[in-house]
Amino acid sequence: MSLPKLEELSQSVWQGPSLSTGAIPTKEWMDTPVTFKPGGYAYPAKKEKLEYLDSQPGLNFPFARIWSPEEDDWLLPDNWKDIILKGLAERLDKFRSLKIFMDCCVRCGACADKCHFFLGTGDPRNMPVMRAELLRSVYRGEFTLAGKILGRLAGGRKMTVGVLKEWFMYAYQCTECRRCSIFCPYGIDTAEITIILRELLYSVGIGINWVIEPVSNSTKTGNHMGLQPLPFRDNIAFLAEDVENLTGVKLDVSFNRKGAEILFVTPSADAFAEPGIYTCMGYLLLFNALGLDYTWSTYASEGGNFGLFTNNEAMKALNGKMYAEAERLGVKYILGGECGHMWRVVHQYMDTMNGKTPANMEVPVSPITGTVFNNAASTKVVHITEFTADLIKHNKLNFDTSRNSHVRATWHDSCNPARAMGIIEEPRYVLDHVVDKWWEMPENTIREQTFCCGSGTGLNTDEIMELRMRSGLPRANAVKHVVDQHAVNTLACICAIDRATLTSLVDYWTPGVTVCGLTELVANALVQKGENRVDMPEGLRTMV
Amino acid sequence: MSQQQFDLAEGFRKHQEEILARWVEYTLSTYESSDFFKKEKNQFANPIGGNVRIALGELLPLLIKGAGRSAYEPPLERIISIRAVQQFTPAQAVSPLNAIKHITREILAADPESKHLNGELYDFDFAVDIALLAAFDIYMQFRERIYSVRIREIKSGSIVLTDSKCPSKLLKPEGEIPMVQAGI
Repeated sequence: MSLPKLEELSQSVWQGPSLSTGAIPTKEWMDTPVTFKPGGYAYPAKKEKLEYLDSQPGLNFPFARIWSPEEDDWLLPDNWKDIILKGLAERLDKFRSLKIFMDCCVRCGACADKCHFFLGTGDPRNMPVMRAELLRSVYRGEFTLAGKILGRLAGGRKMTVGVLKEWFMYAYQCTECRRCSIFCPYGIDTAEITIILRELLYSVGIGINWVIEPVSNSTKTGNHMGLQPLPFRDNIAFLAEDVENLTGVKLDVSFNRKGAEILFVTPSADAFAEPGIYTCMGYLLLFNALGLDYTWSTYASEGGNFGLFTNNEAMKALNGKMYAEAERLGVKYILGGECGHMWRVVHQYMDTMNGKTPANMEVPVSPITGTVFNNAASTKVVHITEFTADLIKHNKLNFDTSRNSHVRATWHDSCNPARAMGIIEEPRYVLDHVVDKWWEMPENTIREQTFCCGSGTGLNTDEIMELRMRSGLPRANAVKHVVDQHAVNTLACICAIDRATLTSLVDYWTPGVTVCGLTELVANALVQKGENRVDMPEGLRTMV
Repeated sequence: MSQQQFDLAEGFRKHQEEILARWVEYTLSTYESSDFFKKEKNQFANPIGGNVRIALGELLPLLIKGAGRSAYEPPLERIISIRAVQQFTPAQAVSPLNAIKHITREILAADPESKHLNGELYDFDFAVDIALLAAFDIYMQFRERIYSVRIREIKSGSIVLTDSKCPSKLLKPEGEIPMVQAGI
């Protein structure tokens, strides 16, 4: 009997392109060029979307063109290298954090195995230290004396087209979730390195459409979908009608109402896409039960801020829209819905980026409990979960948890609210009161150590579905554990991107699990005066 | 005959742990940077390493026993569901399963007490073949699942986050910015 030897079998496994880079894994990483294949990259930004954004005051999105990552020639401007190096020099000067991050890494490796992209691919360039090294090597080679003289001996290299392509591949295999940063002894925020990489790429017209089209739409009409005021209003009204049919309670919903106490801003996906619409129905029911003096805006109709995934100027402009609307309507403060990166921008960047809030805004005070949200004294925006937790703490809500008896929940800490903002105990406190019992995922996958959905920062596009399943594996693996152990059937969270993308993630890894927002569960269990509910075996999802 | 079977069973009992360790090591070596996958034992910190270890640990005794296709499927699903979404060719995705034949032979041959058993592995090889064929089917099931997940996402409305063609968008030519406040 003639059987191939093990080594020959290994050869057959290794022959051909390797995992995600297309490289034969025997060379050093600097010598292995990246290869782009269908399914391995998100589609480039549309020319007309970049042109529109570039035409807007204060925004800079130059070199719009039609190009393909699969082509050798990316049609870069002639002076692309000068633009990149000048851009890097400016940012090293402007952001002290970047300069420190470039200099202080000692390559201890603490971050290496903490990234969901690395854990799902085994690709060394997805180790956070290595992803940062893609930029750091250019910094050394072009900006430090040792790197200029010693080159690779000092870990330096020159900026080339190949390096630029590598940046594009790996800046879009990072969801800026910051899990790696909590393990770094120096506090290097690798997400901010990705942010800089993406900014530099946009300066030569390289970006992805799933980011740029929402930014363009938000700039133009106020929300990711490009919806104009009337359809936005109508859709909320439809959802209010659904709530009325289910609960028998007449809802009072207002739009662009001047003089309201509170402006409510949430991701537009909550208004239009499943499963976010059920969370939206939850907001409507909750606010009505409280008799809250609030209004929606059809112009600041988006909590999400995809500007964070492009450059500082776009992020600042989109964040500013919420406050421009808060000023126009004369509200005291903003109540923010279940969104992810909206909170990252508000909590981490807004103070130094946008400056003071409009004069009409005040330190938020709950009109129901009198609680002063001093934590929001500078931003004047309160998170719906801390708002709800405060209501429960003061016994202002009545719940019948049996109304959630169809739910066996676990809790996903969404990266931005949890890790970046510290909203960790509040949702657990709320969950304790609205369901009979729920189950935590393993300790090293929750709270500050939570694993990303794998599709944040504009990677929630279907053409890279396999990549998303790989990067979401660590999250899904923990979900599967509680599904197997406790027959969990619901994955709850407070992020619109999570609600959309975890749905696909669990459809692949643990079919049968439902993804929902926290306020959906709150509203399911809420008992209010004058209600005349139909039988709701699936809560707000019950079809009437 | 019964004496020979006992000998083979004894050989497997003696070397099963070593065979499994090498099989896990071999499978994880198909990843470009695999040191961590091999070292870290916590299955939540290391989902690929953890699932490969669990799946192959379940599968090996079943193959030795010749338990049959339906018994092989759960551990195969655990491992192939992962490899089906990684950038392996179909052959690369399933080939580590085939490696168990060669690993077993090398380990048995290295021990004088079990060297003679290499001629008696027909049933074991057959079980591996059955598992390998099942793995191809499972690979395709998961490929089909990912296509259906993609289609479901497009149909669900999540796609409208960017590329929607909602009625109001269709009504307006590209570039026009109606900001009508009337009635609102």
